[in-house]
Amino acid sequence: MQTPSQTRTKIYTVTQVNSLVKDALQANLPSWLTIRGEITDWKQHQSGHCYFSLKDEESILPCAMWRSNFSKVKFKPGNGLAVLVTGSIDLYVPQGRYKLIVEEMIPAGMGALQLAFEQMVRKLESEGLFSEAHKKPLPKYPQRIGILTSESGAALHDIADSIHNRWPCTRLVLYPVPVQGPGAAEAIAAAIADVNRRNDRLKLDVLIVGRGGGSLEDLWAFNEEVLARAIFASRIPIISAVGHEVDVTVADLVADARASTPTKAGVVAVPNREDVLSDLLHQERRLGGSVRSRFGLCCEYLETILASSAFRNPLLAVRNREQYLDDLGGDLDDAIRRGFFDAQKQIQNCQEQVARIEPHRLLGRMTVELNHWAGRSLAAVTLVFNRKTLQIIAQENRLVGLNPKSVLNRGYSITLHKRSGRVVRAVKDVQIGDVLITELADEQRFESKVNKIDKG
Amino acid sequence: MSTEQEQKKDEVTALTFEEAIGQLKEIVARIEQGEIPLQDSLEQYEKGMVLIRHCRGILQKAEKRIEKISKEELKEPESQNDT
Repeated sequence: MQTPSQTRTKIYTVTQVNSLVKDALQANLPSWLTIRGEITDWKQHQSGHCYFSLKDEESILPCAMWRSNFSKVKFKPGNGLAVLVTGSIDLYVPQGRYKLIVEEMIPAGMGALQLAFEQMVRKLESEGLFSEAHKKPLPKYPQRIGILTSESGAALHDIADSIHNRWPCTRLVLYPVPVQGPGAAEAIAAAIADVNRRNDRLKLDVLIVGRGGGSLEDLWAFNEEVLARAIFASRIPIISAVGHEVDVTVADLVADARASTPTKAGVVAVPNREDVLSDLLHQERRLGGSVRSRFGLCCEYLETILASSAFRNPLLAVRNREQYLDDLGGDLDDAIRRGFFDAQKQIQNCQEQVARIEPHRLLGRMTVELNHWAGRSLAAVTLVFNRKTLQIIAQENRLVGLNPKSVLNRGYSITLHKRSGRVVRAVKDVQIGDVLITELADEQRFESKVNKIDKG
Repeated sequence: MSTEQEQKKDEVTALTFEEAIGQLKEIVARIEQGEIPLQDSLEQYEKGMVLIRHCRGILQKAEKRIEKISKEELKEPESQNDT
């Protein structure tokens, strides 16, 4: 039996083989290929040359685009972008690797992943998975924080350091999970569900799910629906910390809080211990101060009470009360006595009044009065009568005086003609020889004859 | 008496930081507002100081250590089947 090296006489160098492959490729491939693919691992070197890969669902093709050709590209290529490129395959002999040397590049609509991302965002948003109403509040002072990330990644230490720098008094619990590649999203989703199920033992206050920066493909697990739904279903609040600041993933949108990078996780997850300590000191001072001032106030109050007369002369209050009681007793006594006296007096007054209206006395008085008035009336009548009698007598006397015959009583007499019966008033009424009648008082009469007449 | 105090202390040490600082702030507010009797305010003050010690104790427990979830727990069958 002979080995292949013994049967083949020609021995090639490595370089010769690479050169042979290069020639074979160039001889058998079309000189120009136009390829549709999605850009990934995009890097522009300082020299201006661009190195990237094109990919589809199954394969990846390394590419290079020299500065002179790249300067003709009008848009800005980047990861996830679907493009149509034209170029030729070349093999780089020193490394034995082949590349597509790109001459032209045009965009071919949106990259499939980018499109998938936007479709997923729209779907979950319409279901309300991003709604603020579903965001769980983060604990203010977490004591046990679960970290779901790769055990070997830098993100783990970025997250741990950012927490410990602010809040060293917390326990970090790592749940190692793959953060990229097929099955990563499912694995992280399962880990979230597992932690929730066991949290009465794990006692985690908050979970941080994250990884460091990378291409859109690297971060893709964080855009998958299975992870989004697991984050949404978690009863433990979840903080996402994925990629660089500019990367926004579906996990960021559905999580209860987002740290823009793993190094920012601490700021989102924990307070600053120094702030909390100084607040604690502040509380301690307030507590002590308020108790002291409360005590001071009470002491002052006590002093005031002790200084009051009741304490300086405790019997005074008793004496005052006694005196007051005495006064009250005296007043009561007086009041009763006075009341009694008044009542007695009133009764007496009444009795006297009653006594004064004795009927026989009243009758007597009335009789006296009646007699008095009777006497007075009689006297008055008598007086009037007497006065009238006297008046009558006076009138009678005057009347008597006026009676011509009454003059006769005073010695006068009336001479009448016997014949004529007329009163003789003058000498001429008589003639010698006439018979005259002389009437005296008491109608005594006598007759005479005229004998002589003397004529004056 | 001492057992009662110890019991109180145990109650406080069972509190989380959040619960402890919440209770502390309530006590401070109550005493400041003067709405509790003097005797009670002294008891509350003592409890407040215990709470402060408890909170400080938690804050000073700095242990820069990452504990990994135990493998036994990871191997729980439900975690594999559950998606």
